[in-house]
Amino acid sequence: MKYLMAGLLALLCGFFLADFLFRQQASEVKTPGNIPFDHALHGDSIGLDCSHCHTGVTYQAHAYLPSKTDCMDCHRLPLTENPGIEKLDSALSRAEEFPWVHKRVLPEHVVFHHGLHFAAGVQCSDCHGSTEKIQKNRYGGERFTMQSCLDCHSGKTFEGRGFKKAAIHCGACHR
Amino acid sequence: MDRREFIKACSVVALMQVLWGCRRLPDLSGGKVPEIAEFEKEVRLALSRAKGAFDLVQVPMPGPLDVHGASPVNRFGMAIDLDACDGCGKCILACMQENNIPLSSKGERDAGRFMHWIEMHGGTPAMCFHCGNAPCEKVCPTGAASHTPDGLSTMMYKRCTGSRFCGANCPVGARKFNYVDSVKEGLARKFNPEVPLRSKGVMEKCSLCLQRLQDHKHAQMATRPGVEWRGSGLKTACSEACPKNAIIFGNWLDQESPLVQEAKHRNLYVPREIANLDPSVVYMRGRR
Ligand code: SF4
Ligand code: SF4
Repeated sequence: MKYLMAGLLALLCGFFLADFLFRQQASEVKTPGNIPFDHALHGDSIGLDCSHCHTGVTYQAHAYLPSKTDCMDCHRLPLTENPGIEKLDSALSRAEEFPWVHKRVLPEHVVFHHGLHFAAGVQCSDCHGSTEKIQKNRYGGERFTMQSCLDCHSGKTFEGRGFKKAAIHCGACHR
Repeated sequence: MDRREFIKACSVVALMQVLWGCRRLPDLSGGKVPEIAEFEKEVRLALSRAKGAFDLVQVPMPGPLDVHGASPVNRFGMAIDLDACDGCGKCILACMQENNIPLSSKGERDAGRFMHWIEMHGGTPAMCFHCGNAPCEKVCPTGAASHTPDGLSTMMYKRCTGSRFCGANCPVGARKFNYVDSVKEGLARKFNPEVPLRSKGVMEKCSLCLQRLQDHKHAQMATRPGVEWRGSGLKTACSEACPKNAIIFGNWLDQESPLVQEAKHRNLYVPREIANLDPSVVYMRGRR
């Protein structure tokens, strides 16, 4: 009896262990040649405005990612002798196989309109952090909570910036 | 079995249950999504099983909301033209597609129960009347049912814990409860990516197409920040779909609004049960 119990137990434990270890994992994202993008370099050093690449940010709900051909608008200019251009070109030729993978962090029952915040005078860095931070924190989305929205909407976060108080009733941002 | 063994066995069982609870569940839905024809069929069935007519009483034109924090410039609502409506039910289908309303299971359908946010009462379409003094919101224990300053009775699905007090307190039965997981049962179709699907155990009802109002407002605030938003030019899905133009959406506080323009020449009515609850949606009939 004792052995039977022990055997059953081991079997069960085995099942659970197998389930935890071998269940289907989220698949890895593949990128060609791993081309790094440095927000700090493009933003602060060159002085590009965020909206140059994230074109929706000033007037649309979504900020959007640029088309990869847009990178070449600048990079193909004879600015430097940088051998990196070749690498970019070869990556671009295969761009279709590697579409932008954009993971939506905002849940679907929450509405956020970039353009309206821009019109109200909110800077990109107010929420997303400086360009260095963006680099480190993977665009900052993970740090947003409803509390951080509410703090700003009720006038706490940027006292002295002269923002108008914003709506805090549920239906303003949720659906 | 002695005491020690018993306790050991109990702990093992408890541990197993914890592990079982933590595992990742496979998706059993099989990904079945109903065809559009099934929604059309369900609307036809609902039309054939219309509920009894309301006892209508005349009311004055809705004015500003009588609640703390109400907007002095916006109060959205609708007027349903009883002289124009022929009961075709196109509004019901349009609402289902705009708001991703699920089909009902066969048993529910046979019993005449549907998830539709618009239902026929004696040949007259009826949705939530968005009472200014809403009895459903007063009994919500979590604050999931709440009012916006511009007159919408809204549902925050993620806050809803399914007490169903609101449904019990609605005098006209406008609220619908998700008894089943409609996605898993293959009853839901995401027609509109802008509207989240509701999960099991959540109450829902006409939102006055809240998503359309939000998007319209945000777009205007982004592109014309100095201009006060009055929702002009906006239509709800049902009013847009009506071939007889029998559902007029608008802003009760905006004299330019098509709603006010039309309603001021008509006699306005609401069901007797909610006549003193200051509804934002009314019926209109006759000319003055
Ligand atoms: S679509 Fe228009 S005419 Fe048809 S039932 Fe609805 S309100 Fe009446
Ligand atoms: S206003 Fe929108 S949610 Fe309400 S009944 Fe009409 S279509 Fe449905």
